Amino acid sequence: MLKLDAVTVRFGGLTALSDVSFEIPQGEILGLVGPNGAGKTTLFNSISGLVKARGQITFDGKNVIRLPLHRRARVGIGRTFQIPQPMHHLSVRENLAVAQVFGAGRYDPKRIDEILTVMELSHKADADAASALALQELKRLEIAKALATEPKLLLLDEVLAGLESNAKRTFMLKLRELHRLFGLTIVIVEHDIETISELCTRAVVLNFGQLIADGTPAEVFANPAVMESYTGTAHA
Amino acid sequence: MTELVLQALFSGVLIGGVYALVALGLALAFGAMRIINLAHGELVLLAAYMAYLVESRTGLDPYFAIPLALIVVGVASWILFLLVDRIKDHRELNSLILTFAIGIILTNAILLLFASDVRTTSSAFLQDAVSFGDVYAMRGELIAFVLALVLMGVLWWWLKSSWYGRAVRAVSSNRGAAQLMGINPTRIETVSFLVAGALASFAGIALYTMSVVQPATGHALTVKAFIITVLAGVGSIPGVFLGAVLLGLTEALTVTFASSALQELAGMVLFLLVLFFMPNGLFGARARRG
Ligand SMILES: Nc1ncnc2c1ncn2[C@@H]1O[C@H](COP(=O)(O)OP(=O)(O)OP(=O)(O)O)[C@@H](O)[C@H]1O
Ligand SMILES: [Mg+2]
Repeated sequence: MLKLDAVTVRFGGLTALSDVSFEIPQGEILGLVGPNGAGKTTLFNSISGLVKARGQITFDGKNVIRLPLHRRARVGIGRTFQIPQPMHHLSVRENLAVAQVFGAGRYDPKRIDEILTVMELSHKADADAASALALQELKRLEIAKALATEPKLLLLDEVLAGLESNAKRTFMLKLRELHRLFGLTIVIVEHDIETISELCTRAVVLNFGQLIADGTPAEVFANPAVMESYTGTAHA
Repeated sequence: MTELVLQALFSGVLIGGVYALVALGLALAFGAMRIINLAHGELVLLAAYMAYLVESRTGLDPYFAIPLALIVVGVASWILFLLVDRIKDHRELNSLILTFAIGIILTNAILLLFASDVRTTSSAFLQDAVSFGDVYAMRGELIAFVLALVLMGVLWWWLKSSWYGRAVRAVSSNRGAAQLMGINPTRIETVSFLVAGALASFAGIALYTMSVVQPATGHALTVKAFIITVLAGVGSIPGVFLGAVLLGLTEALTVTFASSALQELAGMVLFLLVLFFMPNGLFGARARRG
């Protein structure tokens, strides 16, 4: 469903992504791992259109690399930000409604209620999105907004960070539920090896902008090069 | 004495409605595109002269100029948008220079076409005095004020309840996030400019019916809109309305008790006082958003 072919991103002299190629089949939950600054968020940015990339990004059989942001959202690429980006001065429900109308091209309040329920935001539906929500609620809103655009592919950037282990477990179940309920393909950035191993069927590893491993979580985390890149940053 | 005060207060409130329309147009374009349109007052002026044109050529009431003003100002807004949209680098700063220049061009075009004379409506109907006890208003002032209130209501409803209005708020609040929700920001910016142009059209005609206009009025209106925006922040329609009424009152009291020559200066003094004593605007930090 998504195919990256020699995707390269440079910021001035810094090569944030260098010839990254891999493919994600429909329905997969893929873990994207790597140390801080490895280029994970940059990869999401290039897929969703926030940064200009070279190479090819094929989504559903079409090269989307020249499509502007909003068109990529409309063809079914949804994402969340590491730091939540609510649209303030809009209520939680309006955030979702706008996302649905402009992203999915239809208005279906029932579906919005469903998303609110799944993401446990119903009680804050009419609150102002930016000022009335706690950080974890903002993170759930981030996912809810992406879901409202009715994506086929969902890119999740460190949505589990900052949760203690019980909450993390609950949230993983939630992600599984979303995956099944909405028929999604998911790529998730996450530092915690256990989480990746439990949630994902496959993991790819970035280091200094290069793809250094691709396989099942067990294979990837048994790879010495991966563990070496990891030890500097991710003892957690 | 009290009658003079009451009369000044009343006139100040009435002109405040039109000032609010001018300021809301400026705020709308600013919210969506993050640029300050220094030619906004000239768009209002353009509409006022369309009213003059229709009235002087056909003898019709100035409000019959609404369709013409909407078309002319709409086209002007759209061209303005296209020009601003072409600026790729340092848009905030370069757009100031660009729109300032466009304002000068419009002022001079109007000067060329309509001469520098002061113009106002000659409609007896609009200039008729209506009395409320001890205070008077021209019928034109009352109509303009009611029109302003209605338009503010429509704008409020549009921003709150229509999909485009919500998208305008979304783009104003978080452009990147809005784009990822499938919103085409260029489309929304165009819509904002056109709505701002429509507000300017009504404001210009209303101004012509209740006050006097001349080519220099455009620039003065931009300054007023700017003062109101700083007073009120760009967050809320009622806030802008209150800021506009306050400016109207200040001007009217100055004209009544000092001199009409000091009218523009009074607004600037108010502006400086508020900046100095209430740097977050009249309504505190909360209202200054967007
Ligand atoms: N807009 C930008 N301009 C310049 N450099 C950037 C930009 N965005 C990212 N970078 C740089 O690109 C590199 C990759 O950053 P990126 O945010 O993709 O890493 P990451 O893997 O998501 O890290 P983290 O785990 O900290 O989120 C870093 O060196 C970063 O400083
Ligand atoms: Mg990151």
